[in-house]
Amino acid sequence: MTDLTLSRRDFLKISGAAAGAVMLGQFLPPPVAEAARLAGQIDADGDGYIPTLCEMCVWRCGVRAKVAKGKVVKLEGNADQPHSQGRLCARGQSGLMTTYDPDRVLYPLVRVGQRGEGKFRRASWDEALDIVAKNMLDIKEKYGPEAMIFSSTHNLSQVQFENLLNGYGSPNYGTQRSLCFNAMVLAFSLTYGVEEPARNYDNVEYILLVGRNLTEAISTSETAALMDALARGAKLVYLDPRYTKTAAKATEWIPIRPGADAAFLLAMIQVIVTEQIGDCDFVKKYIVGCEDLPKAMEEYTPEWAETKTGVPADTIRRIAREFAAARRFALAHPGWRTSNFINSFQTERAIATLNAVVGNVFEPNGCLIAASPEAAGVPLGKPPQPAYPRISALRLDGVPWKYPLVPLKLGVFQELRDSILGGQPYQAHGWFISRQNPVQSLPDRNRTLEALGKLDFIVDVDVILNDTAWFADVVLPEASYLERYDPLSVVDRKIFIRQPVIEPQGEAKSALWIYKQLGERLGLGDYFQYEDEEDYLRQQLAPFGLSLEELKVKGYLDPDIKRNNDEITFNTPTGKIEVYSETLAKAGFSPWPTWEEPPAPEPGAFYLLTGKVGQHTQMSTQNNQYLHKYQDEPRIWMNAQSAEKLGLKDWDLVEVTSEVGSVKLALQVTQAIRPDSVFMTPGFGKLSKGLTTAYGIGASDSVLHVTYTDPVSGGQALSQTCVTVKKA
Amino acid sequence: MAQKKRYGFVIDVSRCIDCRACLVACSAENKVGMKYTRIWVRDLGVKGEYPNLEQTFVPYNCMHCENPPCTQVCVSGATYKDGDTGLVLVDQEACIGCGFCVDACPYNARYLDRERGVVDKCTGCIQRLQVGQQPACVTTCVGKARLFGDFNDPGSEVSVALKNARTIQRLDYELPDGAHTEPNVYFINGEVMDPQVQPHEPAYSLAETSWKSLLIPAVLAGIGASFLGQATFFTKQLVEGEKEFEE
Repeated sequence: MTDLTLSRRDFLKISGAAAGAVMLGQFLPPPVAEAARLAGQIDADGDGYIPTLCEMCVWRCGVRAKVAKGKVVKLEGNADQPHSQGRLCARGQSGLMTTYDPDRVLYPLVRVGQRGEGKFRRASWDEALDIVAKNMLDIKEKYGPEAMIFSSTHNLSQVQFENLLNGYGSPNYGTQRSLCFNAMVLAFSLTYGVEEPARNYDNVEYILLVGRNLTEAISTSETAALMDALARGAKLVYLDPRYTKTAAKATEWIPIRPGADAAFLLAMIQVIVTEQIGDCDFVKKYIVGCEDLPKAMEEYTPEWAETKTGVPADTIRRIAREFAAARRFALAHPGWRTSNFINSFQTERAIATLNAVVGNVFEPNGCLIAASPEAAGVPLGKPPQPAYPRISALRLDGVPWKYPLVPLKLGVFQELRDSILGGQPYQAHGWFISRQNPVQSLPDRNRTLEALGKLDFIVDVDVILNDTAWFADVVLPEASYLERYDPLSVVDRKIFIRQPVIEPQGEAKSALWIYKQLGERLGLGDYFQYEDEEDYLRQQLAPFGLSLEELKVKGYLDPDIKRNNDEITFNTPTGKIEVYSETLAKAGFSPWPTWEEPPAPEPGAFYLLTGKVGQHTQMSTQNNQYLHKYQDEPRIWMNAQSAEKLGLKDWDLVEVTSEVGSVKLALQVTQAIRPDSVFMTPGFGKLSKGLTTAYGIGASDSVLHVTYTDPVSGGQALSQTCVTVKKA
Repeated sequence: MAQKKRYGFVIDVSRCIDCRACLVACSAENKVGMKYTRIWVRDLGVKGEYPNLEQTFVPYNCMHCENPPCTQVCVSGATYKDGDTGLVLVDQEACIGCGFCVDACPYNARYLDRERGVVDKCTGCIQRLQVGQQPACVTTCVGKARLFGDFNDPGSEVSVALKNARTIQRLDYELPDGAHTEPNVYFINGEVMDPQVQPHEPAYSLAETSWKSLLIPAVLAGIGASFLGQATFFTKQLVEGEKEFEE
């Protein structure tokens, strides 16, 4: 090729040529179809259903993929799988368009223009992997392995991703967790010894959701369980500055002041322990600090909370009494994306405490289960591997030397980005990114782009040219979740499989294959001791003597591992629920759930709230044509009263400005938000022109977000940014 | 003896969360074009003044009427009420794309697919029904707001849901000739009295005397039933030509 630069049109030409090549290849039976036919899942015409797992979000619903003549034509929820129970949400239903996205990256790409120009050339896998390995080895040799950052999040192949980074010897592991649930995970780990307690809606009578917008931030089975509970007559009290679709379903919507949730919850605890209306037996037996709790909560009266939250004291008192009366059938939901304010960790500690004082943490009837929902209990096998090399370098994200309590696997992602810019405690030189989009997810996009500019080498693994891939030096095309195997998934003590339902398109490959190929080139082959994806899965099943063939046909296997019904114990230093935490005290933080005043907007400015819509997952699905078809135009919400004051009308183009950036988008004038707040949904305002469906739509909240980090949990305070709005 | 079926939907308005899984499921199942949709979720809007608000979402599709006005105006016989299921269907091979039925529906539940030159609408996923499956929208409904079944079977899910409903609304509509549409979609457990979902006067009815209602049957009759295929083609040209002229 003389001109190495590929335009979008050239991509299409190549796709066409490759489609021809695939057709020729089909004289040999394609392996996925052949296997499905042998397993009896598809007939001679290639039509049938194959069970697998969704990956349109992290909930991993069971899927039955309908295939016809080598194409996936429809996805159904798998009734055998607890997370779907036969249903899929809008994103799950749209999965086939992620696979058949006309913008899919189907061949390895190597950058030929400037970073961010979007000029790439097609490369062979060998060449692309050689380039990646050479750059990674050069960085290791010149600056040490710590100069290479690795980031990826919450997927089934994560275990092999971790092998790559740990084997390579870098301590710098970026996950998106500090942009999401650090506050929740750390608070519940410290209080109950469990990262994310399961919720049980079977008998729930009283549900308190603190900003957990379950009907738009959908986890299919849990959202369905909530709707069932409401239909049964359970009461839902919903705290949110915005009237979301969950508010529309709530018995009572409390438009609480942003950042004041902890005050509301502390006052509820105060009422319950002062009036002694909780589950006193439970409190005495299982809670550390139960004697001193009334004293510690003394100042948090409903009258005090009214001044912080804007919610009348009587309302708080009534809700506290109602919640306590429901006892173990009350549920204060732990939340999910709890990175809102730097006091969000205290909000989470208060939620943990509120559940404890009504004694709902009992199995099987209580509404909060102090066991991880993906509870191990099923010890899957693993390929053998040597110990990791010893790592002595400090982590760039400040864990634990700056953030002593943040678990290593959570990390502080925004700090990692800032240390690339600051070059302290040492300079990073390379970034390996897999299935992640930090350009859109991290606060302050300009800083993130500046940080990317300081790196010598960036490699990205993805299915499309998302905004981060757009700035990469090498893009490695991953097979979509309908085209590949991933390591096995355990839910409710059953083993589920994600397996290919169609052949990978183009030259896309599974992460298991990509990481192994790269590992071998980096001299880390011993960490990837599997022949291929199926061999990996067989090694996982080996301890149970279960067959992969049977798993592939059924979609799941039950290794028949018994639950143990022992006395309740909590995995904390004392073995009890630590409402009073000595661990926190020793680290120099308040041992009790406590109030920390969040900042408020200057006169004329607004809190910038962000959150999900039911049709998209974070920053990854905006280019999906089905979701695009049924999404609302992403506009910024403003209360009608505030809009009137500013002389703004519905659909006006407005300029939104924070201290770090400015965007333009259309205005949505509504009653459904507090007058002191505006709201945007993330994931729009794409930079990548490789996303032809999503490009040019809406604006990115990451341009506006200011970086604020909670010193306890490391969580980014995503609602703490204030903005001004004017007509553009 | 098997009783005649009367398939239809019960929509539990209290359970709809406007997630739109049903919309995507329908589009994928029925290969609906990216510009079109066969079914809807109507957001009745945020009502009231902050902070005393209400909002209702109403899943919506063809009412599969007992007495459908669309079938009456269909000049090619493509739109019909299926005798076995009671579903209102379009034989797209026979449809000439004239769009009279679209204008005749008081519920706005049909559309003209201009790319294909045919009218399209909810079919109750009859292809799924034939293999014992529920419609795609019902199967995937996260809030369990959409139910489907045979109203003539007292044990069916829809009959039971009607029996247990707190409120029932049927958006019945009196046609200009005095007959009622008698829709087979019932909205339960929520108020859907809203202009957005109220039936409206058909924009086209048999009673209208335009050149279309006279000419097309005349053309069809003239060519004769044995050449219906050709006639369909011819009439399609005629109507599409006329539409282009209008645009």
